[in-house]
Amino acid sequence: MESGEEHPSKYSTYVFVWMGLVCLTALTYTVAVRIHPGGWAILVALAIAGTKSGLVLNYFMHLKSEKPLIFKVIIPLVMAVFLVFVLLTFSDVAFRGVVE
Amino acid sequence: MDEAKVPVFEGGIDYTGAKLGMWLFILSELLLFGGMFILYAAHRYKTPADFHNASAELDVILGTLNTILLLTSSLSVAVSITAIQKGDRRLSMVLLMVTMALGLVFLVNKGIEWTTKIGHGIYPNSPTLLARPKGEILFFGLYYVMTGLHGLHVLVGVCVLCVMLILIAKDKISPMHFTSLENSGLYWHLVDIIWIFLYPLFYLIT
Repeated sequence: MESGEEHPSKYSTYVFVWMGLVCLTALTYTVAVRIHPGGWAILVALAIAGTKSGLVLNYFMHLKSEKPLIFKVIIPLVMAVFLVFVLLTFSDVAFRGVVE
Repeated sequence: MDEAKVPVFEGGIDYTGAKLGMWLFILSELLLFGGMFILYAAHRYKTPADFHNASAELDVILGTLNTILLLTSSLSVAVSITAIQKGDRRLSMVLLMVTMALGLVFLVNKGIEWTTKIGHGIYPNSPTLLARPKGEILFFGLYYVMTGLHGLHVLVGVCVLCVMLILIAKDKISPMHFTSLENSGLYWHLVDIIWIFLYPLFYLIT
């Protein structure tokens, strides 16, 4: 029987990930406040937020080092379900007539 | 059949199962917030100018500070789990206390923010807010519901970590049995991830 976690992560890995997260926060702030890329702003902000989440999921939440396959597919699966909801909602919102 | 291949569950504890259960709960939470993010996206798509104007009224500095606080608390809880794995009980407990303190400071900041807004007459169904354009009413409605529900999660997280602290003190969590602490950590990181999205969507609309 294996114990819960055979390989504790190094403290330094966490500190590096945290530094990355803080840098990305500074980046998203700067992009929003100083630079105004117009319609691209929301996409840049979401891309940065997505990258930050990826760091948290893989390193802080150890998704990267989980062995069973289920942990690898579970997030993409839920994201796919979420995307279906998004597409259904937007196909409604975008094509509905204006109601005032 | 080779008897050695039959899995034996020592003490009846299934670590992978416990963690998988926690992940399923976390994913259901993601969909709960996801629904609200879709609502936000649909309204922002309809009234972009109102969302821009309303967002400009939020305190960006306080929002950024809270982001840093939560990211740092995620670091401290992650290191706390590694510390207990390595048998450093004292470090683990200190870092849990740091995490809880950061969570509480986050809530105090949130309280200051809400109180200021309410002081200016901006709260759901207030006469001042209802006199404004439709998109701004929706923005502040979503702001209060989403940051409120998130704040509630922070509060629950602090309580859960407090229980973990007591369990470590009583030696119920040890280098051999730390799954409950690990799962609490997963919950805390989930709260962090939700804030990672709330921050740019509410405070940083250009």
